[in-house]
Amino acid sequence: MANLDSPIAGKILEVYIKVGQQITEDDELFIIEAMKMENPVYGDAGTVKEVNVKVGDRVQEGDTLAIIE
Amino acid sequence: MGDYEYSMHPYFKEMPALGKGLSRRIEQNAEELKTIEAEIAKEVERVKNSGKATEALNKKGELSAWQRIDYLVDPGTWCPLHTIYDPANNEEKNTGVIDGLGKISGKWAVIIASNNKVMAGAWLAGQADNVLRVTDIAKRLHLPLVWVLNCSGAKLMEQEELYANRRGSGTPFFRHAELQKLGIPIIVGIYGTNPAGGGYHSISPTILIAHKNANMAVGGGGIVGGMNPKGYVDEEAAESLIEQTRMFKATPPGRVEIHHNGTGFMRDVCDTEEEVLDRIKKYMMDLPAYAKDFFRVADPAEPKFPAEDLYSLIPFNQKRVYPMHEVLARLFDNSEHMEFRPDYGPEVYCGLVKIDGYLCGFVANNQGILGKGYPRYADYQGIGGKLYREGLIKMNEFVTLCGRDRIPMIWVQDTTGIDVGDTAEKAEMLGLGMSLIYSIEQSDLPMMSIILRKGTAAAHYVLGGPQANNNNVFTLGTAATEVYVMHGETAAAASYARRLVKDNDESKPLEPTIHKMNDMIKDYYDKSRPAYCAKKGYVDEIVDLENLRKYCIAFVGSYYQNPVSICAAHQMLTPRVIKG
Repeated sequence: MANLDSPIAGKILEVYIKVGQQITEDDELFIIEAMKMENPVYGDAGTVKEVNVKVGDRVQEGDTLAIIE
Repeated sequence: MGDYEYSMHPYFKEMPALGKGLSRRIEQNAEELKTIEAEIAKEVERVKNSGKATEALNKKGELSAWQRIDYLVDPGTWCPLHTIYDPANNEEKNTGVIDGLGKISGKWAVIIASNNKVMAGAWLAGQADNVLRVTDIAKRLHLPLVWVLNCSGAKLMEQEELYANRRGSGTPFFRHAELQKLGIPIIVGIYGTNPAGGGYHSISPTILIAHKNANMAVGGGGIVGGMNPKGYVDEEAAESLIEQTRMFKATPPGRVEIHHNGTGFMRDVCDTEEEVLDRIKKYMMDLPAYAKDFFRVADPAEPKFPAEDLYSLIPFNQKRVYPMHEVLARLFDNSEHMEFRPDYGPEVYCGLVKIDGYLCGFVANNQGILGKGYPRYADYQGIGGKLYREGLIKMNEFVTLCGRDRIPMIWVQDTTGIDVGDTAEKAEMLGLGMSLIYSIEQSDLPMMSIILRKGTAAAHYVLGGPQANNNNVFTLGTAATEVYVMHGETAAAASYARRLVKDNDESKPLEPTIHKMNDMIKDYYDKSRPAYCAKKGYVDEIVDLENLRKYCIAFVGSYYQNPVSICAAHQMLTPRVIKG
């Protein structure tokens, strides 16, 4: 299990994953709008166990966005 | 293996690998970029098809400028520049010349041809500046300049737009003199009637080769015929003009029998259009150039990953971030590099790379989140595209080292500017930005720029932009290019924020100011599009993403063809500083 933490404070613009989904390290998992830019968030390869945010949420740097197993 | 073994092979033969294969194609993004490229291609076709039909010229025994260039240049080497450049917004939609870099007889040259389809190659508004850009390229790269001349002189109906001024139509003749003073030869092939300005274009180069029907003169038939000085035209004057014109059309001044047989200005006279170009090819063979392997540090190699990937990697959406190193991996030989200070100044990439087997320094704006605690001087997070203290220091160091080692540089810009605010001011952004300008100027290096996406604020200047007149050889744009002082929304806020406050305080409706702000945002958008940037000369050509490497090869190959100063590979510092 690994927490996928937000690398930056901002607004969740896109959520591309669902619980149970298999992901690779090249997959864009979230888009966070911060500093006028749209920043993709990547994670380690694995299975998505939890998704903690939805589109429109504001997050702080270090907030857990998802848990990947 | 090339013609020689290579110096310093432990450093350069095999450098660390960069990049990885594309995980997925992003079709919609590719389509958006290619739509813009198709629009640019349409603009180029419009310029090519303007004026007389090529078939009509061919019927008269003339080739068009494009046909002449096609015959002259080694296949596959032509890199056009300024194709849709038209700063004066001419009805002809271009400046009346066609130019670019290309190889002739295996050697790089800067080539410029009069567009004989439009007013027999007349001077149009903006042409002088176009020619000055071209002579600047020859000067900075120490490359021969080849003119394919067919110039009827000034477009007299618009003389006030083009004849006089500091950078007017006579300035190129001084530049030709300057190039020769610097040891750079100019070869001209002369076609058609070249009076007045065309005459000086003909006589100012080093070697003059004429087609048998060519002429060049201080003044053409129209001037030699003169006018009855009444101050106006009446029927008698018109009749006299008709007679004189008929006479000088048959025997224009400065024909081959005058300037070959008589003065000897024309060195060769050729019976056919193609023979003129063949003579140019012959002279090019006789010009000095190092063998192509002389300055190479390794065998040339294509990148490991296809250029087509760039259409998925570079987001058309200007707000979307992307991995710059993956873009670079599609430009470098064998996708290899030696990165300079990768752990310092993460907002910029600096590295030594190979392009067609030659050493080249690359600088690029990394994109995206820069990591916790950066910039170190601030309590806010940094983001790629912006410049901070460390990145500016790193670029200053890298430029200085490349200058010392005589390594040409290519800049890849996608920048939103330099960090702002009192914290940034205390961290010396203003001084470090200007230091980078000083370092570039001091380096005396030729540089090329690619405005991959955004060229914004002072960062557009300090990142080797075209304003570096003594360094920047040419600047390319892409389908994703935008150039403006700041984003339209930022500019609208800066311009109207106080007005909004005032309206609000006075309980006035905000709508009229909001309307003006939105007009301004749209105006900024329209005037920062790729085609607009090329037309105004912010960039020297919009290039398809797949052709970026071709221009890099032309630039780097041109630099190493006959450099004015050199540094032995084993005396370079940059690779040692990187290796540690």
